[in-house]
Amino acid sequence: MLRPVEMSRVVVAGSKNVMESVVEKLHELNLMHIVNYTGGADYFEQGKTMGKGKEFSENLIKLRSIERYLDIKPKAPDVRFAESEVLSQMDDLLGRLANDVTSTYERITAIEAEIKSKQDQINALRPLAAIDLPIELYSGYETLAVFVGTVESAVDADVAKVAPKSEVFTGSFKNTTVVAVFVPVEKASEVQAVLAEHGFAEISVPKLTGAPDVAIATLEAEIKRLESEKEPLQKKLKDLKKQYEDIILAADEYLSIQTQKTDAPLRFATSDNAFVIDGYVPSADYDKLKSALESTTGGRIHVERLPDSEMEELVEKRGEDIPTKIENPGIVKPYELITRLFAIPEYKEFDPTLLIFVFFPIMFGMILGDVGYGIMIILVLMMLKKKFRTEGWTQLINIVMIASVWSIIFGLIFGEIFGPMGLWGKIFGQLPHEEILALEESGRFFGEGVFGPLGRVGPMGMFPLYRLATNAVLMLIGVSIFIGVLHCGIGSILGVKTELNYGEKKHAYFERLPVLIFQVSFALLLLGLVLGFMPLVYLMGLLVVVAIVMMVMGPEGVMGATHLPFYVSNLISYLRLLAIGLASVGVAFAANKLAFGVIMPMLSGGEHLTMIAYIVGVIVLLVVHFINLLLGILSPFMHPLRLHYVEMFTKFYSQHGGGVEYSPFGHVRRYLKV
Amino acid sequence: MAITDAGVMYGLLAVGAGLATGLAGIGAGVGEQGIGAAVVGVVAEEPGFLGKGLFLMLLPETLIIFGLAVSLILMFAWSPFAALL
Repeated sequence: MLRPVEMSRVVVAGSKNVMESVVEKLHELNLMHIVNYTGGADYFEQGKTMGKGKEFSENLIKLRSIERYLDIKPKAPDVRFAESEVLSQMDDLLGRLANDVTSTYERITAIEAEIKSKQDQINALRPLAAIDLPIELYSGYETLAVFVGTVESAVDADVAKVAPKSEVFTGSFKNTTVVAVFVPVEKASEVQAVLAEHGFAEISVPKLTGAPDVAIATLEAEIKRLESEKEPLQKKLKDLKKQYEDIILAADEYLSIQTQKTDAPLRFATSDNAFVIDGYVPSADYDKLKSALESTTGGRIHVERLPDSEMEELVEKRGEDIPTKIENPGIVKPYELITRLFAIPEYKEFDPTLLIFVFFPIMFGMILGDVGYGIMIILVLMMLKKKFRTEGWTQLINIVMIASVWSIIFGLIFGEIFGPMGLWGKIFGQLPHEEILALEESGRFFGEGVFGPLGRVGPMGMFPLYRLATNAVLMLIGVSIFIGVLHCGIGSILGVKTELNYGEKKHAYFERLPVLIFQVSFALLLLGLVLGFMPLVYLMGLLVVVAIVMMVMGPEGVMGATHLPFYVSNLISYLRLLAIGLASVGVAFAANKLAFGVIMPMLSGGEHLTMIAYIVGVIVLLVVHFINLLLGILSPFMHPLRLHYVEMFTKFYSQHGGGVEYSPFGHVRRYLKV
Repeated sequence: MAITDAGVMYGLLAVGAGLATGLAGIGAGVGEQGIGAAVVGVVAEEPGFLGKGLFLMLLPETLIIFGLAVSLILMFAWSPFAALL
């Protein structure tokens, strides 16, 4: 689980006679991660597409264009088809349906273009209606130049100055002045200059006839007619989509599989009569691959596993990447999303998914820590789960769902149901006042949550803790930092092991190991100071010095020790586990105090709670808690994410660049029956 | 100027604590602003960069935690300051 699946480098070689059946079998097995042949060997060249490959890819392009026209997108499959069903309908899909859809879609596009152009004409005509000249009069002169447009100030006088023989029509439209200026052609450029001074913006007059009002009415009628033509066409596409969506997705899958198979030889090395396939297979599945290939070809194939030393050599000399297959049990799997978001581990690195599964929900829970919020989130997610069924969303929902369970657990530890002072006291009862005073005096006051029938539990009877109490804050500071020490410590241990896997002993023992020693001893030193236990302080101080000396001896020399502030800040960074939580508790506390302590008594005035006070109080409660809950999902998610990416991953992960994900030759069928 | 009143002293500590967290928050925000803009730009071109982008964007956030740590020390571990009176 912590390591990627072990891989073997495999070579498959045989005569070209059996190539097609080998490809068929490999595709069916969905096991071999093929390494593309890039040339370079004598007698061998890149293979060519087999059989009907060209036809398949042409059909696939055609089908994809139908999908685009019908707006069909991959979705969770409702029905699954047998290959024969798809094949029998293929001609119909690519012939009749394709023509039908294409012509309908093209007609709709044409109608939309026409509507657009008519709309533009109407927009140009509206200002002209203010002048009320027949439209045909604006054009068709040999000796006259016509300027139509809007201006910012009156132009009549200035135009008359440069061109005495002219005519200016003026109208006003929506706060702008519309003018039509008719001048002799020879004066055109001078008039244009005058108009420009007045901020002239030209209107291009459409080539129509009659009064502008009438023309606009005609155009509007035509637009209406075009829209009524468009509507049934759109509905037709929608109906076609409904009718054919599933079969089209299945056909798409069928054609994709076929092109994958026929194009496979492009990745092989082939000679005139033989072919060679290089690739990686999970070591556990090697025997299965070998026997399956041998039985389909009747033994006329050579399958060989290279020894590990040769595999290493290929990686080092030819720069081949061993593919990484990360494998985790079902409940851990959603957390692969977080790993992937950062990078796929290299083959020799560790897969941190399991650690994320352990730490992420605990951190989320510790920050949110509220029974009520936890239950609310789980309920909402259960509803969302039915709506969002794509893989990414399901994973995300599962991540938060698991984390919310921890939030409920921490809610019990912190004694919070919709914040402190919320339902907890109402359900479990409060501590008597005298006992609180006694606890405060003895310095063991961790808040007044509960007690009633449950009583307090834990050492010194400190649970449930009240997170806003001073003692609880101080304790949680310590807990947060030691969670950090554990978290970073595991990261450092994996870092040491990773470097050893790469054979970098110096990096392992003098770069990674001192970080572990430094962080653990530094935290224990702080603990010693707080407890006033001096032997621990001296011992740990010594270890800190040892760690620094080791860093200086490391590959980076004195520069290695300059990272120290980063390692200290790593630990302080875990304080956010407490801090973000306090912020959210603060808001919840404010909501409860505002509703029960301020609004309700204020509105009721007297002793008894009035109806209005009750309603207003509850509304305030709901609104503030809702906002807090939204924030309460976001920040407890982002901050642990950061703690993993920045604080933990930097200790061991992706130091050598991301890996290549294992993607075997084959296809997982979604819309086709297996 | 010597501070002789414990109330004034505690008040100043509280102001200091507030400034520590608040100013650190502003600093972290200014830092993240530039990085965030750059990350959005990169992710628009290359969605696979989201994880590393988040990593970079969240780096300056530790600053505010430093501020908070100082505030907590001022608010809760202030007895050494009382000795100054």
